Amino acid sequence: MKAHFVPARLSHLAASAGVLLLAVLQADVAHAWSLNLSPATRRVFLHVGNGTANQDNSTVNLVQVSVPAAQVGNGVAQAMASNSTQSTSLYGDGYTTCPTPSTQVMVGASYQRNNNSSPASATLRVTSPASLVSAAGDTIPFSQISWTVSAAGSPVPGVIPAGTFSGTAQTLATVPANTYIENCHTFSYANSALRAAGTYTGQVTYTLTSP
Amino acid sequence: MSRLRSLCTLCLALALFAGSARANPHRLDDSGSHTVPPNVQMQWRPMTSRSNGAGMEAWLRVNLRIDTAAWIGRSGRVYMVLPRDEMSSIEAVWTSQGRLLPGRLVSGERTLVYAGRIATATLEDQFTVRLRSGADWQGSRRRLDFHFEFDAD
Repeated sequence: MKAHFVPARLSHLAASAGVLLLAVLQADVAHAWSLNLSPATRRVFLHVGNGTANQDNSTVNLVQVSVPAAQVGNGVAQAMASNSTQSTSLYGDGYTTCPTPSTQVMVGASYQRNNNSSPASATLRVTSPASLVSAAGDTIPFSQISWTVSAAGSPVPGVIPAGTFSGTAQTLATVPANTYIENCHTFSYANSALRAAGTYTGQVTYTLTSP
Repeated sequence: MSRLRSLCTLCLALALFAGSARANPHRLDDSGSHTVPPNVQMQWRPMTSRSNGAGMEAWLRVNLRIDTAAWIGRSGRVYMVLPRDEMSSIEAVWTSQGRLLPGRLVSGERTLVYAGRIATATLEDQFTVRLRSGADWQGSRRRLDFHFEFDAD
């Protein structure tokens, strides 16, 4: 009687284990919709003057000044005007960061990346040639042109600092990952030496790079 | 004797209730479902002052075919589930063609997509899904495994 009871109980336990195993297998074979996701590739965005959020914009803005003959070389800095019309931020809030674009050039830069092995920041640089050149071949050192910065309503108006063109590549700012920086640059000509009459031109190029 | 029978009936009812509660949820097979496209690359969302750092998003369609043959005639609720993985939360927001409910789901949660009596062997619909996540991924690739489960009444 006792010998007969024990195998019956064992048999019951074995059956329970079998049901449990089947239940686990059943869970494994229940398929579901799956998806492989790749993260967005890292991205830099830069605009100098007129720009379009997250799109290319080929505009090259002009900053200029006409120095009256009587004032040439008198050492009094001359404010430069801009043909930029970009007054509102491209940061997404439409804020009027540069309220007087006729004397300001808005510079904005962002760097987006994932938390992987990508660099932690991007670098904003500006490269200027050694000189502005006239049609006659006369030159003015680019170091005669400086800029001040501002940003209406910003707690960090100097996030991209003021400076003077050096005639070479200059580092302006570091843009940490997943941040956006912007402010307004107002240019002036030092007017510290006599120059031959003429129209002097030169182009500076801003770059934002993540190695 | 009558009191004993009532007690036993109550015990049986409690046991059945407990058994039913333990049984839910039931994983449903939707191996007939597929996504278009099958692999998706996230895109950066524009940076704004309200979401510094922004994040990524992707859009896709999911053609759903959920096997409910085992539950025909039963009433209950079907949920879509996105298990949490080791990375940051994913948010899925979808619209449907009407057979299932539109909704929103975040990693680690489940959201109701159907409630009522199961009348057919399959539940079919097409979701248009927007996926969003933060930028704090550690890896270069991520697999999302959604599934459906049924809570019988």
